[in-house]
Amino acid sequence: MILLVTLAGAFGAVVRYLLSGFVQRRIDTDLPVGTLAVNLSGAFLIGIVVGIDDLQSTVGLLAVGFLGGFTTFSTWMIETIRLGIPPLRSRSLFNLTTTLVAGVALAAAGYSLTN
Amino acid sequence: MPLLTRTLTRFRRPWTAVLAGGIVGSAVRTGVSYYLPAAPGRMPVATLTVNLAGSLLLGFYLARREQTVTAPLSLQFWGIGVFGSFTTFSTFSIEVVHLLGQSQAVTAIAYIAASTVGGLTLALFGQRLGSVIR
Repeated sequence: MILLVTLAGAFGAVVRYLLSGFVQRRIDTDLPVGTLAVNLSGAFLIGIVVGIDDLQSTVGLLAVGFLGGFTTFSTWMIETIRLGIPPLRSRSLFNLTTTLVAGVALAAAGYSLTN
Repeated sequence: MPLLTRTLTRFRRPWTAVLAGGIVGSAVRTGVSYYLPAAPGRMPVATLTVNLAGSLLLGFYLARREQTVTAPLSLQFWGIGVFGSFTTFSTFSIEVVHLLGQSQAVTAIAYIAASTVGGLTLALFGQRLGSVIR
Protein backbone atom coordinates (compact mmCIF):
# COMPACT_ATOMS: atom_id res chain seq x y z
CA MET A 1 0.00 0.00 0.00
CA ILE A 2 2.83 2.40 0.90
CA LEU A 3 4.36 1.63 -2.49
CA LEU A 4 1.13 2.47 -4.34
CA VAL A 5 0.65 5.71 -2.36
CA THR A 6 4.25 6.64 -3.20
CA LEU A 7 3.71 5.98 -6.92
CA ALA A 8 0.51 8.04 -6.82
CA GLY A 9 2.54 10.91 -5.29
CA ALA A 10 5.20 10.64 -8.00
CA PHE A 11 2.49 10.70 -10.66
CA GLY A 12 1.11 13.81 -8.91
CA ALA A 13 4.55 15.44 -9.18
CA VAL A 14 4.56 14.90 -12.96
CA VAL A 15 1.06 16.40 -13.32
CA ARG A 16 2.20 19.36 -11.17
CA TYR A 17 5.22 19.88 -13.41
CA LEU A 18 3.11 19.85 -16.58
CA LEU A 19 0.14 21.86 -15.25
CA SER A 20 2.13 24.57 -13.43
CA GLY A 21 4.33 25.04 -16.51
CA PHE A 22 1.25 25.29 -18.72
CA VAL A 23 -0.49 27.86 -16.49
CA GLN A 24 2.68 29.92 -16.01
CA ARG A 25 3.25 30.12 -19.78
CA ARG A 26 -0.36 31.07 -20.47
CA ILE A 27 -0.56 33.98 -18.01
CA ASP A 28 1.77 36.90 -18.59
CA THR A 29 2.91 37.73 -15.06
CA ASP A 30 6.00 37.32 -12.91
CA LEU A 31 3.84 36.16 -10.00
CA PRO A 32 4.15 32.36 -9.51
CA VAL A 33 0.64 31.56 -10.82
CA GLY A 34 1.60 28.02 -11.91
CA THR A 35 2.26 26.91 -8.33
CA LEU A 36 -0.78 28.89 -7.15
CA ALA A 37 -3.05 27.03 -9.60
CA VAL A 38 -1.66 23.65 -8.55
CA ASN A 39 -1.87 24.32 -4.81
CA LEU A 40 -5.37 25.82 -4.88
CA SER A 41 -6.86 23.11 -7.10
CA GLY A 42 -5.10 20.46 -4.97
CA ALA A 43 -6.50 21.96 -1.76
CA PHE A 44 -10.04 21.96 -3.18
CA LEU A 45 -9.69 18.35 -4.40
CA ILE A 46 -8.31 17.06 -1.09
CA GLY A 47 -11.32 18.64 0.63
CA ILE A 48 -13.64 16.75 -1.71
CA VAL A 49 -11.77 13.44 -1.29
CA VAL A 50 -11.50 13.61 2.52
CA GLY A 51 -15.14 14.74 2.72
CA ILE A 52 -16.27 11.65 0.81
CA ASP A 53 -14.29 9.00 2.54
CA ASP A 54 -12.00 10.29 5.31
CA LEU A 55 -9.15 7.99 4.29
CA GLN A 56 -11.02 4.72 4.77
CA SER A 57 -10.81 3.30 1.23
CA THR A 58 -7.88 2.41 -0.98
CA VAL A 59 -9.02 4.89 -3.62
CA GLY A 60 -9.17 7.63 -0.97
CA LEU A 61 -5.62 6.88 0.22
CA LEU A 62 -4.30 6.86 -3.35
CA ALA A 63 -6.08 10.15 -4.14
CA VAL A 64 -4.57 11.81 -1.07
CA GLY A 65 -1.16 10.37 -2.02
CA PHE A 66 -1.53 11.80 -5.51
CA LEU A 67 -2.55 15.22 -4.17
CA GLY A 68 0.35 15.11 -1.69
CA GLY A 69 2.82 14.95 -4.58
CA PHE A 70 0.73 17.20 -6.82
CA THR A 71 0.82 20.15 -4.40
CA THR A 72 4.00 21.60 -2.96
CA PHE A 73 4.88 23.62 0.10
CA SER A 74 8.60 24.13 -0.49
CA THR A 75 8.17 25.76 -3.92
CA TRP A 76 5.52 28.09 -2.43
CA MET A 77 8.05 29.19 0.23
CA ILE A 78 10.92 29.68 -2.25
CA GLU A 79 8.80 31.60 -4.77
CA THR A 80 7.45 33.82 -1.97
CA ILE A 81 11.01 34.67 -0.91
CA ARG A 82 11.96 35.43 -4.51
CA LEU A 83 9.33 38.18 -4.51
CA GLY A 84 10.96 39.69 -1.39
CA ILE A 85 10.88 39.12 2.35
CA PRO A 86 7.10 38.82 3.10
CA PRO A 87 6.08 41.63 5.47
CA LEU A 88 8.40 44.07 3.71
CA ARG A 89 7.31 43.46 0.11
CA SER A 90 3.63 43.60 -0.75
CA ARG A 91 3.85 41.17 -3.71
CA SER A 92 5.56 38.62 -1.52
CA LEU A 93 2.97 39.05 1.25
CA PHE A 94 0.26 38.77 -1.41
CA ASN A 95 1.61 35.43 -2.67
CA LEU A 96 1.90 34.15 0.90
CA THR A 97 -1.55 35.18 2.10
CA THR A 98 -3.49 34.47 -1.12
CA THR A 99 -2.25 30.88 -1.26
CA LEU A 100 -2.85 30.37 2.46
CA VAL A 101 -6.32 31.93 2.76
CA ALA A 102 -7.67 30.65 -0.57
CA GLY A 103 -6.13 27.19 -0.01
CA VAL A 104 -7.74 26.71 3.40
CA ALA A 105 -11.04 28.18 2.16
CA LEU A 106 -11.09 25.87 -0.89
CA ALA A 107 -10.23 22.80 1.21
CA ALA A 108 -13.10 23.73 3.57
CA ALA A 109 -15.44 24.30 0.60
CA GLY A 110 -14.56 20.94 -0.96
CA TYR A 111 -14.96 19.19 2.38
CA SER A 112 -18.37 20.69 3.14
CA LEU A 113 -19.50 19.95 -0.42
CA THR A 114 -19.12 16.19 0.02
CA ASN A 115 -19.34 15.63 3.77
CA MET B 1 30.91 10.81 -13.49
CA PRO B 2 28.80 10.13 -10.39
CA LEU B 3 26.11 7.50 -10.76
CA LEU B 4 23.21 9.93 -10.35
CA THR B 5 24.57 12.33 -12.99
CA ARG B 6 25.08 9.41 -15.34
CA THR B 7 21.54 8.21 -14.69
CA LEU B 8 20.02 11.67 -15.17
CA THR B 9 21.69 12.11 -18.54
CA ARG B 10 19.86 8.99 -19.72
CA PHE B 11 16.44 10.56 -19.21
CA ARG B 12 15.15 11.65 -22.59
CA ARG B 13 12.19 13.69 -21.39
CA PRO B 14 12.07 16.13 -18.44
CA TRP B 15 8.94 14.58 -16.97
CA THR B 16 10.68 11.23 -16.48
CA ALA B 17 13.21 12.98 -14.21
CA VAL B 18 10.28 14.56 -12.28
CA LEU B 19 8.71 11.10 -11.95
CA ALA B 20 11.93 9.54 -10.64
CA GLY B 21 12.45 12.40 -8.16
CA GLY B 22 8.77 12.30 -7.23
CA ILE B 23 9.10 8.63 -6.22
CA VAL B 24 11.93 9.52 -3.82
CA GLY B 25 10.19 12.60 -2.35
CA SER B 26 6.78 10.93 -1.99
CA ALA B 27 8.33 7.78 -0.47
CA VAL B 28 10.08 9.76 2.27
CA ARG B 29 6.98 11.90 2.95
CA THR B 30 4.75 8.80 3.14
CA GLY B 31 7.31 7.11 5.41
CA VAL B 32 7.42 10.10 7.78
CA SER B 33 3.59 10.16 7.95
CA TYR B 34 3.60 6.51 9.06
CA TYR B 35 6.22 7.13 11.76
CA LEU B 36 4.53 10.28 13.07
CA PRO B 37 0.79 9.49 12.88
CA ALA B 38 -1.60 12.41 13.25
CA ALA B 39 -3.72 12.62 16.40
CA PRO B 40 -7.10 14.42 16.13
CA GLY B 41 -7.01 17.94 17.53
CA ARG B 42 -3.21 17.93 17.86
CA MET B 43 -0.47 19.62 15.85
CA PRO B 44 0.13 17.59 12.62
CA VAL B 45 3.81 16.92 13.31
CA ALA B 46 4.51 14.76 10.22
CA THR B 47 3.39 17.38 7.69
CA LEU B 48 5.08 20.15 9.67
CA THR B 49 8.33 18.14 9.65
CA VAL B 50 8.38 17.43 5.90
CA ASN B 51 7.30 20.97 4.98
CA LEU B 52 9.98 22.62 7.13
CA ALA B 53 12.72 20.17 6.12
CA GLY B 54 11.70 20.41 2.45
CA SER B 55 11.81 24.22 2.48
CA LEU B 56 15.31 24.15 3.96
CA LEU B 57 16.51 21.54 1.47
CA LEU B 58 15.00 23.26 -1.59
CA GLY B 59 16.56 26.60 -0.55
CA PHE B 60 19.91 24.90 -0.08
CA TYR B 61 19.69 22.99 -3.37
CA LEU B 62 18.74 26.05 -5.46
CA ALA B 63 21.61 28.08 -3.97
CA ARG B 64 24.09 25.25 -4.61
CA ARG B 65 22.78 24.98 -8.16
CA GLU B 66 23.86 28.55 -8.84
CA GLN B 67 27.36 27.81 -7.53
CA THR B 68 28.11 24.51 -9.23
CA VAL B 69 27.64 22.77 -12.55
CA THR B 70 24.71 20.36 -12.27
CA ALA B 71 23.58 17.50 -14.48
CA PRO B 72 20.96 18.11 -17.18
CA LEU B 73 17.48 17.67 -15.64
CA SER B 74 18.95 18.11 -12.14
CA LEU B 75 16.34 20.81 -11.44
CA GLN B 76 13.52 18.51 -12.62
CA PHE B 77 14.80 15.60 -10.54
CA TRP B 78 15.83 17.36 -7.29
CA GLY B 79 13.95 20.67 -7.25
CA ILE B 80 10.59 19.71 -8.77
CA GLY B 81 10.63 15.96 -8.15
CA VAL B 82 12.35 15.20 -4.84
CA PHE B 83 11.97 18.41 -2.81
CA GLY B 84 8.72 19.47 -4.51
CA SER B 85 6.81 16.29 -3.74
CA PHE B 86 8.51 15.73 -0.37
CA THR B 87 6.45 18.71 0.85
CA THR B 88 2.70 19.13 0.48
CA PHE B 89 0.21 21.98 0.52
CA SER B 90 -3.01 19.96 0.13
CA THR B 91 -2.50 17.93 3.32
CA PHE B 92 -1.53 21.11 5.16
CA SER B 93 -4.79 22.81 4.06
CA ILE B 94 -7.09 19.95 5.05
CA GLU B 95 -5.32 19.62 8.43
CA VAL B 96 -6.00 23.31 9.11
CA VAL B 97 -9.67 22.75 8.16
CA HIS B 98 -9.86 19.73 10.50
CA LEU B 99 -8.32 21.67 13.42
CA LEU B 100 -10.74 24.57 12.90
CA GLY B 101 -13.64 22.08 12.69
CA GLN B 102 -12.56 20.53 16.00
CA SER B 103 -12.62 24.02 17.61
CA GLN B 104 -8.82 23.93 17.94
CA ALA B 105 -8.36 27.47 16.61
CA VAL B 106 -5.25 28.12 18.71
CA THR B 107 -3.56 24.93 17.46
CA ALA B 108 -4.64 25.78 13.88
CA ILE B 109 -3.08 29.26 14.11
CA ALA B 110 0.06 27.88 15.76
CA TYR B 111 0.30 25.27 12.97
CA ILE B 112 -0.11 27.91 10.23
CA ALA B 113 2.46 30.19 11.89
CA ALA B 114 4.99 27.40 12.49
CA SER B 115 4.63 26.20 8.88
CA THR B 116 4.80 29.56 7.10
CA VAL B 117 7.15 31.59 9.32
CA GLY B 118 9.29 28.49 9.89
CA GLY B 119 9.20 27.51 6.21
CA LEU B 120 10.20 30.97 4.98
CA THR B 121 12.95 31.28 7.60
CA LEU B 122 14.37 27.84 6.83
CA ALA B 123 14.18 28.40 3.05
CA LEU B 124 16.15 31.64 3.51
CA PHE B 125 18.59 29.90 5.85
CA GLY B 126 19.05 27.06 3.33
CA GLN B 127 19.72 29.55 0.55
CA ARG B 128 22.27 31.37 2.69
CA LEU B 129 23.94 28.12 3.71
CA GLY B 130 24.08 26.92 0.09
CA SER B 131 25.66 30.15 -1.10
CA VAL B 132 28.37 30.47 1.57
CA ILE B 133 29.83 26.96 1.50
CA ARG B 134 32.29 26.17 -1.25
